[in-house]
Amino acid sequence: MSGERRQFKSVKEVPPEDYYTSGRRTCAGCGPALAYRLVLKAAGVNTVVLGPTGCMYVANAHQFLTSPYAIPWFHTQLGGGGAAGVGTAAAFRALMKKGKRRLEDVNVVVFGGDGGFADIGFAGLSMGMSYDYPRLLYVLYDNESYANTGIQASSTTPWGATTTFTPSGKVRRIGNERMKKNVALIMAAHPGVRYVATATLWPPLDLMNKVSKGLGSGGPSFIHVLVPCPKGWFTPPDLTVELSRLAVETGLWVLWEHENGRFRLTYKPSPRKHVKNYMQLQGRFAHLPASEIDMIEEVTEREWEIWAEMDRTGKLMVP
Amino acid sequence: MKVLTRTDLEAVQIPRKKPITGARAIAEAVKIADVDVIAAYPIRPYTGVMNALAEMIANGEFAAEIIVADSEHSQFEIAKHASAVGARTFVGSSGVGLLYAAEAIAVTAMDQLPVVALAGCRALDDPGNFGMEWNDTLFFRDSGWLVSWAKDPQEALDMTLVAYRVAEDRRVMLPHFIVVDGATITHIAAPVDTPPKEDVTEFLPPYRPHYPLDPAQGPVTKAQHIAPSLIGPEQRKHVDVAMKRSRDVIAEAWRDYADYVRRTYDPFIETFHMDDAEIALVTMGAYTVNALHAVKEVRRDGIKAGVVRLRYFRPFPAWDLEKVLSGVGGIGVLDFSYSFGSPDSAGVVFNEVRAAMYGNPKPALDFLFLGGREPKPADFVKALKVLHKYVRTGDTPEGKRVFWLTLRGEDV
Ligand SMILES: Cc1ncc(C[n+]2csc(CCOP(=O)(O)OP(=O)(O)O)c2C)c(N)n1
Ligand code: SF4
Repeated sequence: MSGERRQFKSVKEVPPEDYYTSGRRTCAGCGPALAYRLVLKAAGVNTVVLGPTGCMYVANAHQFLTSPYAIPWFHTQLGGGGAAGVGTAAAFRALMKKGKRRLEDVNVVVFGGDGGFADIGFAGLSMGMSYDYPRLLYVLYDNESYANTGIQASSTTPWGATTTFTPSGKVRRIGNERMKKNVALIMAAHPGVRYVATATLWPPLDLMNKVSKGLGSGGPSFIHVLVPCPKGWFTPPDLTVELSRLAVETGLWVLWEHENGRFRLTYKPSPRKHVKNYMQLQGRFAHLPASEIDMIEEVTEREWEIWAEMDRTGKLMVP
Repeated sequence: MKVLTRTDLEAVQIPRKKPITGARAIAEAVKIADVDVIAAYPIRPYTGVMNALAEMIANGEFAAEIIVADSEHSQFEIAKHASAVGARTFVGSSGVGLLYAAEAIAVTAMDQLPVVALAGCRALDDPGNFGMEWNDTLFFRDSGWLVSWAKDPQEALDMTLVAYRVAEDRRVMLPHFIVVDGATITHIAAPVDTPPKEDVTEFLPPYRPHYPLDPAQGPVTKAQHIAPSLIGPEQRKHVDVAMKRSRDVIAEAWRDYADYVRRTYDPFIETFHMDDAEIALVTMGAYTVNALHAVKEVRRDGIKAGVVRLRYFRPFPAWDLEKVLSGVGGIGVLDFSYSFGSPDSAGVVFNEVRAAMYGNPKPALDFLFLGGREPKPADFVKALKVLHKYVRTGDTPEGKRVFWLTLRGEDV
């Protein structure tokens, strides 16, 4: 079967059809919802979507039982994203091989949160990436917290962010004291994986083209998408896309892809903006003194030497 | 093919019996059922079935996707999602493995997906223990899974084929556990007749779900988060109705199965020596054979005892049980399950049996075989004697109703 990988060169080429539509109650300016829409536009109609529990399950439902999905969609348990993708893809492969269903490319997209993929479903995701099911795409929509349960820290919450489980207090000032887990690098380190990338809502075509590449890569693929969450980040809803852009321009969120064993930066901020441009817009960092933000700037600067080195050599390293 | 009528049955020879283990027998049934997706994870004693299936698939005996999952939770999620697409699936586990998968097991029933799973009973940790207890499977007694309990490899094979037929029946659409006692059935070989695939193709047509999760069939949204004010009890009622309907579907399936495969079973309950029985042992699974030996022994002393074996635990055949036990003076449950702090601090099965007999209560004793220690034939004889005396005199040793027969030391 084909490995079609349509690339969108301008917004004019983006199809008008939406497979993720109205009938939900996500917050105004919800980053994950915007990502859902762009990802499914790129994936197209021949797609099954699976959603582990999280905002993109609960907030995508509605008290009047409407469904925002115009393609097949099924819930999976919070830790079940990896397995759900494998089970679905395995069923299509078995049924097609055994002549029980017509041969055709069917995309399987699993849309898991950072809780769902970086924590409780981490092992299952890793299992999914170790098999060879084509057109199986795992999208980690990273709003940097367990948002649906009221903004608790996950292993991708950035250092210094306040969450309801990591508040800034009189004795413990910093808030979250763990460093953000780089899930995409870990996925790229799986043997034989053809496509792993990072993305955010800006530039939107970058996200869509990466979805297309992942689905057409011939194996399972993974995209780690940073998505601002106005409720959890304490940001105004109209800043969601701007925050995505600033995350990239400050170098705090690095856009890259790892395709058939070769690493490449897909955007190089130049000159890179100071991280305060991104952090000072967000209430979750409001307690951090300027000295702490400068320290994050220094760490970012050092890490960028490694990212640049990876881009030069095409090899994976750990910043 | 020619459908055999029941009158033909006696005349037919059975030349196909080969000694195989229960694990192997179930694998043969999975192959005959042409299962599409299998998810495996190792834990004793159920693992043998997956070893056998992996070998069959590697040798090209049949085609299926076999996935080595990262955990039992993933295993059961894989089966659930493959089933939603329209694949016939097989999965299984034992002991703590079943509990690790608990969340996935629970939702599979609520999604009404006809996954078939082997539960090879094993004592739960802690401490680790390869012995046999029923509590791993009985954790799921309230979950909406159909649960049938085999007594030997032959029945395990037959139950697996019937399980697919019942689970996938549009009147039911519920997942199905085939339960076998660990070691005594999974690992011990007995003569098994494996029907040729052609004999069961009509009995077990391909699985065709109403609303598969397949873009070719249009968009379906499954298991959307709900508002309980709009549908809450209604969804649970669906499962309840499916479970209630399964009773007729099960009876029908076993009748049909006999026509195709030349073996007859009473669908829900098997009885031995119950025609004139004054006391009865009620049990499930492999130890039924030993219970029967004990009954034969006490009958030589003039004690009229019988055995009743439950073939299904869900739906629980309360109606049949009440009927077969209506004439006895007392019941003894041979129970490999515990429910600490339950009424009388007895086993799960005992309390179920007692609830089933609520309308027609009988003196009842529970004989517990816990911690995986194997009962000896003498233990069952002792159970019968205690029960017999209780029915005659109303007395039991120390006035107890629950006995830990394999316990060393004082039963306090
Ligand atoms: C096994 C399990 N544990 C806990 C929960 C409670 N829960 C529901 S949604 C959720 C948050 C998930 O967070 P994430 O995956 O980051 O998605 P988000 O809510 O941020 O979109 C949690 C913890 C659950 N549904 N299942
Ligand atoms: S809490 Fe965040 S992720 Fe959840 S719906 Fe609101 S904006 Fe979206």
